[in-house]
Amino acid sequence: MYLRDYGDTEVGGFGITSEDELLLVQDLQLVEQTCSLAHVAFDDEAVANFFDDQVDAGLRPEQFGRIWIHTHPGDCPLPSPTDEATFERVFGRSDWAVMFILARTGRTYARLKFNVGPKAEFEIPVKRDYTQTFAGCDPERWEDEYLDHVHPQHKSRLIQSESGLVTDFDGEADWLFAENELKGGLI
Amino acid sequence: MKLLLINNDGGGFADYIDVPSGTTVAQLFKQKMGDAVARDYLIRVNRQPCPPNQCLQDGDRISITPTKIEGARS
Repeated sequence: MYLRDYGDTEVGGFGITSEDELLLVQDLQLVEQTCSLAHVAFDDEAVANFFDDQVDAGLRPEQFGRIWIHTHPGDCPLPSPTDEATFERVFGRSDWAVMFILARTGRTYARLKFNVGPKAEFEIPVKRDYTQTFAGCDPERWEDEYLDHVHPQHKSRLIQSESGLVTDFDGEADWLFAENELKGGLI
Repeated sequence: MKLLLINNDGGGFADYIDVPSGTTVAQLFKQKMGDAVARDYLIRVNRQPCPPNQCLQDGDRISITPTKIEGARS
């Protein structure tokens, strides 16, 4: 999202995935590109350098060359005819590929396409995986901090609504971070 | 002779292959990419663009990567 919002133009890159989970994007790598408000085009030589560099880093092509990510400047994440043409021409010969589009408003579109066997394609949900570790992640210290400072009194409590009605409130429900896995969902 | 081939087609490939001496870039492309259209790819030898008739050398690194990756707003 930082890269999407840094400039006014579209921006794109490749998703770099876990070795074991090829749909788990752990990094996004930009390549040299020319962009406008409504268009993004990667530099061909930069793409070749990206492939060379990733192989030198010990990654397999399926970890870095299958998930094409780009943004749309408006609120519509649906692929354009140009997007579809690129997805077919560039990614149509690999065993599988994903086209992921992030609109400026946060809406997303992701489609997984299998190009071998009984060819098929599916729109797939997009979500952030909070279970993954990252630089600066220190769950043991966080746990200690939580246990030192937070002292729950009740598992459930009563909430007074604006209308004056008293309703049960499930304190364990993940209501704040409810996952939105629908097409066009917000992330 | 042994070459390092990098491409993203099929299952993706980044490994060493054995090819006969005298194999050209065009011959390797045809062998590995089948009916793919060469103009849709940037083919480089040792990170440098190369002509189709260039003879490959033992230890060369060949990358076949897609071109014209572009997106647009609906």
